Amino acid sequence: MGLRDIITGRHEVKGPAPDRLFAISTAYISLQSEHGIDPAGVAAIVFQALATSEFEATLREMEEVVKATGGESGTTVSTQDDSYGYRWMVLRNPESSSSVEDLAVGINAVASSIETAGHGERLLCAVFAFTQRAPTAGGAGGGPVYFIYNYKRGFWYPFVPLARSPGGAAGAAEASRDGQRATERELQLKAQMSSELPIEPELERWFPLWGIPI
Amino acid sequence: MAKRRSSFGKDTGLQARMVMTMFLLGLVYVVFVGVLFAAGAAAGVIVVVALVLLLLQLFGSDKIAMATMGVKEVSPAQEPELHGIIERLCVQADLPKPRVCVIETSMPNACAMGKSQKSATVCATRGILDLLEPSELEGVMAHELTHVINRDVMVMTLASFFATLASMIAQFALFFGGGFGGGYGRSNEEEEEIMLVLLVSVLVYAISFLLLRALSRYREFAADRGSAVLTGRPSALASALLKISGTMERVPTQDLRRAEGMSAFFILPARTKKSLMNIFADHPPLEQRLAALERLESQLQSAA
Repeated sequence: MGLRDIITGRHEVKGPAPDRLFAISTAYISLQSEHGIDPAGVAAIVFQALATSEFEATLREMEEVVKATGGESGTTVSTQDDSYGYRWMVLRNPESSSSVEDLAVGINAVASSIETAGHGERLLCAVFAFTQRAPTAGGAGGGPVYFIYNYKRGFWYPFVPLARSPGGAAGAAEASRDGQRATERELQLKAQMSSELPIEPELERWFPLWGIPI
Repeated sequence: MAKRRSSFGKDTGLQARMVMTMFLLGLVYVVFVGVLFAAGAAAGVIVVVALVLLLLQLFGSDKIAMATMGVKEVSPAQEPELHGIIERLCVQADLPKPRVCVIETSMPNACAMGKSQKSATVCATRGILDLLEPSELEGVMAHELTHVINRDVMVMTLASFFATLASMIAQFALFFGGGFGGGYGRSNEEEEEIMLVLLVSVLVYAISFLLLRALSRYREFAADRGSAVLTGRPSALASALLKISGTMERVPTQDLRRAEGMSAFFILPARTKKSLMNIFADHPPLEQRLAALERLESQLQSAA
């Protein structure tokens, strides 16, 4: 933001950064083989849905496209709004074969059709869900691990919500509401993955997403 | 940035008025500084004092304001919804997360403080948290974050520097030069000089006061627009403004009096009386703000 923008008080929302979404489609291999983190077969893209007929039409078209391309691999699409008014488009692999590549392709299709329609600045983030296989020192054993892709910055960061009551057998979605996050585990993941994923360098931008519906 | 389609049109008129106001302000200040230097030595001391005051204001004003207003920082665990809204807007605006504070008062309002993006603070009152729906609260918070993005506190503090200086000089000159048995060992020429500086200072203060108020109103329009651009929901902010203004009249006066000093930071000024003339107001009238938001909404709807 230049001096001129400060003086005129003008501010436009940034469009997406150069795309590094597909880094996940190779990084998951080492997550799985070396770090005991399995893909959960679900990913979502989060964006602000403009309340205009034109935007709704774009969304409908896009859902058709994703359904069509996902048809071969069996990927399903569902849409929901969260309590903050953001829209989640959730892509789910079939039980039999989970493929991070397919999910990344689907997410990218959604993102690029929003961008082509001229609303690239409405994209917030993409979320890929993983599951921690074995209990770790960080205490996140068996819990969900999310990798969040920030569209504005083109960086990834890990998000590991902690169950609120450690002994409780609450469901994952229940436990991840407004709780604590396993910062230690996230920092470990940063160190482990930084050669393969472009990780957000500024820790204060590792924004949590509570109540992730996937 | 490359030309890309945007959901909203440009608002060159507002920017032109803002730049014009700043230009006039600068012009007044240049004349003022010229007169000060022409008047000679003693003015130098005042400039130094004013500079120190300016630095104090830049680095301390938010702390002082926060201390007097009973502002409390809240953690994500205490206010998950407010934090959630602000975090998402920060991602959207590519902004580091500011400190999030709550003021325990029933008056619905919100404000942003801090001289830079890194050290910013956004506050919401308990009243506004209770009153507004999430989407409306998001619009209000986006308005405050736009103040942070536009560095409005910094701009307004710097813009008002010479106005502050002029008012100080006017007071100084009254004290030491004017009435109170002044004139010991002073020639007529010195007397005249002091009177001239006094006159110019008063004049500079009066003009810059009006210009500053105009500038503040333009920054508010810019922040409304920024909020609409950030959230993509101009009507949510309009609805929030309507709700806030509807309840502003019913609030206890004691709170208002305490809040009066902060009104430049607030989303709606904390006042019960209607102001005499719009040129003295630091916030634009509600009708104009609503009209501007309505224009944005229709731009959005017809952007097919």
